[in-house]
Amino acid sequence: MFVLGFHFPASMGNQIPDELVAEKIADVDISDVKEIKLLMGTKDKDKEWISYTNKDTFLFRAMVHYFKEENPDKAQKYMIYMNRYQMSAISKRVDAADDETMKLCHNLDSMEQFRIEVA
Amino acid sequence: MAGAASLRQIAFYGKGGIGKSTTSQNTLAAMSHYFDKNIMIVGCDPKADSTRLILHEKAQDTILSLAAEYGTIEDVEMEQARLWGKGLFDKETPGGWINCTESGGPEPGVGCAGRGVITAINFLEEEGAYDEEGLDFVSYDVLGDVVCGGFAMPIREGKAQEIYIVMSGEMMAMYAANNISKGILKYANTGGVRLAGLVCNARMTDKEYDLALELAQRLGTQLIHFVPRNNIVQHAELRRMTVVEYSPYSDQAREYKELARKIVYNDMKIIPTPISMDELEDLLLAFGLEDEVDESQVGKAAHEA
Repeated sequence: MFVLGFHFPASMGNQIPDELVAEKIADVDISDVKEIKLLMGTKDKDKEWISYTNKDTFLFRAMVHYFKEENPDKAQKYMIYMNRYQMSAISKRVDAADDETMKLCHNLDSMEQFRIEVA
Repeated sequence: MAGAASLRQIAFYGKGGIGKSTTSQNTLAAMSHYFDKNIMIVGCDPKADSTRLILHEKAQDTILSLAAEYGTIEDVEMEQARLWGKGLFDKETPGGWINCTESGGPEPGVGCAGRGVITAINFLEEEGAYDEEGLDFVSYDVLGDVVCGGFAMPIREGKAQEIYIVMSGEMMAMYAANNISKGILKYANTGGVRLAGLVCNARMTDKEYDLALELAQRLGTQLIHFVPRNNIVQHAELRRMTVVEYSPYSDQAREYKELARKIVYNDMKIIPTPISMDELEDLLLAFGLEDEVDESQVGKAAHEA
């Protein structure tokens, strides 16, 4: 079973508890990141930048982890659809109290393409 | 069974027209190119389009067509029926390699298409294709559903151990996925076949990810990957290439690379738990893909309702 790209052994079944996924990203360093910038859309005229700064959420940490993984040059990175859908699904459960995050989850659930940068 | 103990035999099943051949070739190309896997493709579709992107050809000679040409399967040589991939997938190119075979089938309306699958697999086993040095994966790309026993042959006799069902969020694709799961369940105890995951080849319909995920969980398996729709796939196909070769740094190549990585490391192989037709319809209703029907309106024309 794969969640956010992490492999969980088959013996754990097909529904991995959110806490175990959160453990996988617990060590990611977010101290050097003030803002996540997401470019939403595919066609130039419809592209939109979204800024996300709420560092106290699972979603923020998951996105920083995704951005930093295998990205030593810190280049803008395409977001794999499945990963961002899974990030959103977990965030909607664990960050539910945060309106800004829920609004972003709504965007992430769309069919639009996303690219991620951090600042 | 022929082949090394470490050999993994996988199969891609799914509704006709869902994009099995495209998905399988692009994924196998990524497994070979990015993860150095050596692969044999056994195309099990009479239209013989399971290998064209790897070979950069319209269609290779099928095992059945060669047998017809020579009069008997015994006169067919392996090197006529099995071709090495072109470009990145050639045996001489660094990284993994892919070789290709197509079972073929009878002329439309004549004979049993599934028989071509049986003949092809027997031929390849007898000719030692499964014993090729370094072979890591055999991949069967199988036409449509498993309602025909011939097309169930790779799972019926335990040839394919891991089944990946290519589906989408459309009703018939989900119906076929459930049906294929029933076929796997039927032969799971005798042949050892297992369901290894659903691959959603997205049509980009509303709630498609949620629907595919829900079906996967009901079947007891995983949604191993959601492949978004991207025109680059068609652009690559026009040049008879996989996306990995046509545009290796494209977003879509990254999607196939991720699916390939998951298949390479996948250990979730389960006996599926198919759902009833009623449950399937309830699922579609729950996700808004089917309108609730007032029973009093069933069978009435539009002007009567």
